[in-house]
Amino acid sequence: MVPQIVVRALRKQFPKVVAVAGVDLEVRSGEVFGLLGPNGAGKTTTLEMIEGLTTPDGGEITISGLNWRQHSQQIRARIGVQLQATSLYNKITPREALDLFGGYYPKRRPTEELLELVQLEDKADSYHVTLSGGQAQRLALALALVNDPEVVFLDEPTAGLDPQGRRSLWEVVRQMKAEGRTTMLTTHYMDEAEALCDRLAILDHGKILRSGTPAELIASLGIPSVVELTFEGAAPDPSAFAARLDAPVERRGDIWEIPTPDPKSLLPRVFTTIESERLEYNQVHVRRATLEDVFLHLTGRSLRE
Amino acid sequence: MTQRADARLPNPLDLLWRQFRSEWRLYVRDRSAVFWTFLFPLLMLFGFGVIFRSGGPPALKLVRVAPAQASPRDAAFVKALQEAHLNVVTLPEKEAEQRWAKGETMAQLESAGGGYRLRLNSYLIAQGQVAAQAASQAFLIAQARLSGAPEPERIPVVVESPGHARSSSYAAFLVPGLIGLNLLSMGLFAVGMVTVSYREKGKFRRLAVTPLPKWVFLLGQILQRVTVVILQTTLLLLAAWLGFGIVNQGSYALLAALVVFGTATFLAMGFALSSFASTVETYGAISNLAFFPMMLLSGVYFRLDSAPQWIQTSVLVLPLSPYLRMLRSVFNDGSGLAGHAAGLAILGVWAALSFVLAVRRFRWV
Repeated sequence: MVPQIVVRALRKQFPKVVAVAGVDLEVRSGEVFGLLGPNGAGKTTTLEMIEGLTTPDGGEITISGLNWRQHSQQIRARIGVQLQATSLYNKITPREALDLFGGYYPKRRPTEELLELVQLEDKADSYHVTLSGGQAQRLALALALVNDPEVVFLDEPTAGLDPQGRRSLWEVVRQMKAEGRTTMLTTHYMDEAEALCDRLAILDHGKILRSGTPAELIASLGIPSVVELTFEGAAPDPSAFAARLDAPVERRGDIWEIPTPDPKSLLPRVFTTIESERLEYNQVHVRRATLEDVFLHLTGRSLRE
Repeated sequence: MTQRADARLPNPLDLLWRQFRSEWRLYVRDRSAVFWTFLFPLLMLFGFGVIFRSGGPPALKLVRVAPAQASPRDAAFVKALQEAHLNVVTLPEKEAEQRWAKGETMAQLESAGGGYRLRLNSYLIAQGQVAAQAASQAFLIAQARLSGAPEPERIPVVVESPGHARSSSYAAFLVPGLIGLNLLSMGLFAVGMVTVSYREKGKFRRLAVTPLPKWVFLLGQILQRVTVVILQTTLLLLAAWLGFGIVNQGSYALLAALVVFGTATFLAMGFALSSFASTVETYGAISNLAFFPMMLLSGVYFRLDSAPQWIQTSVLVLPLSPYLRMLRSVFNDGSGLAGHAAGLAILGVWAALSFVLAVRRFRWV
């Protein structure tokens, strides 16, 4: 099957920085594809080039077999976009905004249906300025769906939302997938990427470091588990401990992390070493490796840094 | 979701109509915009129109310190002062001094030695000098009468508008000024400011990812502003007619053509200026720099005949000043645009320059 979005050798140079330095990716029809990376990695620039907002300096973009040079209006009619910050007129109501934007398209979903989908029925006739952050974000999502799009682009859809707001947004994304739409989103929350995305590309400094399903990416580390030691206050220097344990120990803030393919055999050794080193620690946890660990492994940096 | 054949995009004219209506709806909801565009010009017209009511200059007030003893010369002088249309207010010395100290007195007539003395308020010197001249003339007349000489002849004075038509009041002078000011603020604020804020806040970006053609959006906005101008001007003309009996003395076609020309010029100016600022704050500074000198010095409210020559000359090359001269020539004087070739040329240069800059430099993001 032909991929819904094909991107080849995409490049963008800003006056002082190379924002995107040769990105290749394919998004299959009906999947949720995530661009994961820290701030400034080039996620938004990549997405905006695919959405047709920014002109690339080089490379090819094909959406549903169409390209921006020849079919810009057809592409715009088929895609739905939620920008990082959607600014609307202050004194427009969600119902009016959906009607107005819906009118721009050849095909549109009923306003009532969209209001229900994003749970804004109660606020349908209130001015935009009176909406909370989460409500405004949900309206932006509804606007992205107003034309019944084949492909939906969401740029940091849950930035600045409280946990409940994030959950309800995730639900809408899952609903979109169930309806067969192709979704491409950016995020710097690894839990969001893991929960929503079928496939991911990890981006840093304008390049894709690795891509695959979340499970594949985590498996690629070869260290399915991490043993964590927590401390009261700042964690001490782990080098002596690591030498005696004969395993790598990473200090991150007030915890030590010991990645391992085999926690079952590592744990008894950890406790023995704790005894012999007379280590004052707080607690021990064993957890599955996450995308955060993948990112740390690939870049040597944490996502949030 | 259904797979579709290539559905047709909406008809641009339908879209234009939708955009136009939506612009109007949002505009009406912005109370402050409605106040400044529709109510404020009317308030200015009625306020100033009533303060400076027609029928010649208002009587100047002359405070006279009551003399210790009334004399025939004094009585003759007061009579002559009143004949000279001075409003003579006689006060006891103490009260007169208090009034003077508060700065309310423009000119004060006092007895000094065997004769009189005039004190003029330095803050109100222009009016004070007029009063002083009238008073000196009255004094000569009073002296002539007392000495039994023949009554001196007076030069008759008539008050008339330069175009010798019916509209001779200050309100009539003000109407074209307000029309021009409306156009200027429409261009600089309703167009320029709105463009900068849409760009800064990303509203243009949100529209850019939809298939709405950009020209439809811009034209919808421009048409809405043009209808605002039409409504605003009509309202002002109606108010001038109903409130002051002021009507256009010249050709309505010419007046309409001038309003259209002015609208186009100031619209383009707004778009052009907006391309020089990336934030609303910067634009606020730029637009005020353009707005206030033009509002104060281009003859909206008064002519600058007594200002230094260099100011008068430099203001003439700004677009509003020649524009108002043309408007007044039609509206107040009932004449055409003959003799306004230089003004038309200046305005034309501004229009062309603004248009080229607006088209060349316009940015969506």
